[in-house]
Amino acid sequence: MPDFTLSNCLTLAIVIFLIGCYGLLTRRSLIMILLSIEVLLNGVNMVFISFNYFRWGTQELGHYFFMLSIGVAAVEAAIGLSMVLVYFRNYHNISRDQASRLSEDMA
Amino acid sequence: MLSSNIVSLLFGLSSICLVILSLAVVVAFNPVRSTLMLIASFLPTSLVYLLLGAPFVGILQILVYAGAIMMLFTFVIMMVNPKPESGELGESTKTKNRINWPIFVSLCIAGILLVWQVRLRSDVLNLGAKPAQNFGDIASISQLLFNDPMNNPLTVSFELMSFLILIGIIAAVSFSRKEGGQS
Repeated sequence: MPDFTLSNCLTLAIVIFLIGCYGLLTRRSLIMILLSIEVLLNGVNMVFISFNYFRWGTQELGHYFFMLSIGVAAVEAAIGLSMVLVYFRNYHNISRDQASRLSEDMA
Repeated sequence: MLSSNIVSLLFGLSSICLVILSLAVVVAFNPVRSTLMLIASFLPTSLVYLLLGAPFVGILQILVYAGAIMMLFTFVIMMVNPKPESGELGESTKTKNRINWPIFVSLCIAGILLVWQVRLRSDVLNLGAKPAQNFGDIASISQLLFNDPMNNPLTVSFELMSFLILIGIIAAVSFSRKEGGQS
């Protein structure tokens, strides 16, 4: 089993971040893209908490940044999902490919 | 305190669970299943946070993330109710389970480079100071956030978050209004 060290925690965070990046770049559904962003943010938060524990054990600044990060994630999810809902109401699908051609539809 | 063997064991098991569940989130074809996998992946994440001396953050991860944000996702997925085979998701069953090799290979290269850099500097990274005695409990977090609130920049920025959330609420409501009509 791996030792519980900062470099192992950072490796875990990097792997989760890259998994999220893969989903962000390959999935075509807008909801799946938002879910991949949540996976990606999960890796980022782990970097905050692990640096705080291993290198800055006097103040909980990393925990504070974690709280800011989940606040931003909540706002992003709310706005993104409401945009997805409006898009679905107008076009009856949630494909990334069609959403990227929105400006051509207007012309 | 747990012994270091048990901590290593718990860390290894939860990181294996976390990586498998995150992969399942990204490759699952059905969005409902993928959301449930993401909620399940928050449990090993919060276990890692507990090991990292952050019990409050681990509880927040379950309560706020799994409880509130994922609830929002599930709600929207149920409202949109996309059928994977009808193409409403924009993903036809033909491309199911097909790996996008250029993106996969470039992300693998990025991962190898990043992990290599982390390993290269592991002697520098691993020599940190050990955390203080009452590190991470709610009393010391609230002491950090709300001590002397008039002069504490952290208090101000933490309260500004509530304005950001308020703007998010207003934006979500105004997006989902039908044009010209009520609500």
